Amino acid sequence: MAVHITLPESRKKSAVPDAPKHLVTPGDVITTDTGYMRGHGTYMDDDKLKASLAGVVERVNKLICVQPLKTRYNGEIGDVVVGRVTEVGQRRWRVDVNSRLDAVLMLSAVNLPGGELRRRSAEDELMMREYLQEGDLISAEVQAIFHDGALSLHTRSLKYGKLSQGVMVQVSPSLVKRRKTHFHNLPCGASVILGNNGYVWVSPTINDEKTESSGGYEQDLEPVPSTDREVIARLRNCILALATHKLLLYDTSVLYAYEASRQHQVKDLLQPDIAEKVADDTRQRLQMESG
Amino acid sequence: MKEVPISTCEREFILKAIRDRKRIDGRQTYDYRRLKVSFGMERGCCIVELGDTKVLAQVSGKIEEPKKNRPTEGSIIINLELSPMASPAFEPGRPTESGIEMNRILERNIRDSRAVDTESLCIVAGEKVWSIRADVHVLNDEGNIMDAASIAAITALAHFRRPDVTVMGEEVTIHSPEDRDPVPLSVHHMPVCVTFAFFDQGEFLLVDPNRLEERVMDGRMVVGMNMHREICTLMMSGGMLLVKEQVLRCSQIATVKVAEIIELIQKALDKDAQARQAGEKCGFAESVPANKITTNKKEPTLIDTTAAAQQASQVIQEAGPVDKPMSNMIVQAPGTAQIGEGLVNTWQIDDVDMESEEEEEGRKKSVTNGKEAEATSKPTERKRPVKAVSHADDSGSEEEEKVMLYQGDAEMKSTEDSTALQQPPNSDKPAKKKGKKKKAAQK
Repeated sequence: MAVHITLPESRKKSAVPDAPKHLVTPGDVITTDTGYMRGHGTYMDDDKLKASLAGVVERVNKLICVQPLKTRYNGEIGDVVVGRVTEVGQRRWRVDVNSRLDAVLMLSAVNLPGGELRRRSAEDELMMREYLQEGDLISAEVQAIFHDGALSLHTRSLKYGKLSQGVMVQVSPSLVKRRKTHFHNLPCGASVILGNNGYVWVSPTINDEKTESSGGYEQDLEPVPSTDREVIARLRNCILALATHKLLLYDTSVLYAYEASRQHQVKDLLQPDIAEKVADDTRQRLQMESG
Repeated sequence: MKEVPISTCEREFILKAIRDRKRIDGRQTYDYRRLKVSFGMERGCCIVELGDTKVLAQVSGKIEEPKKNRPTEGSIIINLELSPMASPAFEPGRPTESGIEMNRILERNIRDSRAVDTESLCIVAGEKVWSIRADVHVLNDEGNIMDAASIAAITALAHFRRPDVTVMGEEVTIHSPEDRDPVPLSVHHMPVCVTFAFFDQGEFLLVDPNRLEERVMDGRMVVGMNMHREICTLMMSGGMLLVKEQVLRCSQIATVKVAEIIELIQKALDKDAQARQAGEKCGFAESVPANKITTNKKEPTLIDTTAAAQQASQVIQEAGPVDKPMSNMIVQAPGTAQIGEGLVNTWQIDDVDMESEEEEEGRKKSVTNGKEAEATSKPTERKRPVKAVSHADDSGSEEEEKVMLYQGDAEMKSTEDSTALQQPPNSDKPAKKKGKKKKAAQK
């Protein structure tokens, strides 16, 4: 069996085109001007406004807050998340979404077969395990946030629901760019769901007609053809390469990375030097488009 | 912090492998991971490494009043600490249910089986007795903390030395270690736990599960046994039912495993005792191998070399006759010899080009030759193979320039053919040959 060995490399200075304005670490003084309002990630010490997180200082008029560079996912209402069911409870499921607390998916917030307006009965409660079990992956939207920070999810639309065949990639939540839509049907032959919580789901192309009939809980377990599998594997490696080099993930960047990776073999994309090359090519191309 | 849930396909993969009698780390069903026991400087301090699971045990002694109903017995206390250092799944503070369960098993194993004699811990009946305490800290959790903790606890108790005490009538003197050598505890036997993990409702079992296997298992059974095949603890947990034959089979396997483990413990204790007696350095610093980031230490594996010698002699026999060594060596000067002549030089050297255009008639160029020789001797040594003598005839048609390097002699021969300059301009490299020199002195 051939083993690929690389020597440790010294960290290269990444050519960041636009350096962030104001980086702070916990305890750094942001400003001594008292006219500002404190936002997240800051605290007052004597008369000085100090940072409590390591991140970038953002200023909106009079509000100063610190956006952390690396953090657990903090949910916002309307976010699309991909999560894994950890527990089946009384009229709810607990879902792991890479946050400080497990999110809650209430029984009343899911689509049941037989129409949406059906009242939840006792049988439904007992049949919960038929719909979602521990270990199942779902895509959902954040409906509300509890006081303690736990999220409340819903799968009320037909595009949400149990995920069947595909690959999940875990990246940092700060790398997923907020867009209007997080479900993308890429022209290369695969669909990708970029969850705001950092869980990315790559699957074969979803046909829109199929999801109409089912309530979003039927799994399509037909074997996936090997060409599709190769596309999915390549996409997964591209996403990992982009994440390692701290590039924001959105449909365009993923697509450019895919095209830049075409010349390499799928398994070679896991090697650090080739991954770096793909990330650099993508970055350059994105710069050209924007600049 | 909670653990990331294991994905369904990973779970299925592990289970499928187990059903095929394979383990994901390559072990056999009844194999233990690599077990390493090391001792610290202090008496009673012991680190046990079972694969990547690391457990530290420290024994200490205190003098206390005995229990009212047992005035002549000392006490043994075992405390198992599961801190977030071992795994992010452990919360600081109150121990979890599994933590309490493991603590109870340890206590039952060592205390209830009377592995350490408590009567000998009595100093003054009814007033003063020794209270021995073993604190077991889990440093890293990679599965099967139970076994590692039990090995660490009993080994530390066997390693520990308590201060010597003399009672003269009413006076009790506790001698310091300098006065009198500390005295070992009287350990009757060494009970060690062996953990079995069950899958598919008891159909498949594994010994010494690692962390992933533990997360996927249905239930487990812990058998605590000593060298004399006496079962000291037997505990089953998890949602499964076991048949009687299963339990008996596990105890049989446990006898074999416990014998191996106790042998290893004894060896480690003896080695440490010898090292201390000989006055050698002992302690954790000695037992930890140098962990350099760029090196990966692997234990030596035994390789069977009996066939190699045979193969080698075969190869030698089958090999053809060796070429006759060349004997036409021209000694230019002491320390400099020349065998054959080199090839056409395809290295582009701009200054030589200009010089050669100046010296069209083969003028001697002592200075520039020296420079070129330095610049190009290295490449020729690296690149040019030694050519056989027969090529000398062919090379008459091509350029040939012999450059000799010896001190003080300005006689530098350089023959430059005019064809060197007449080479087509679009060839990048001017032809320039150098003789290959064999400098014996350099070797």
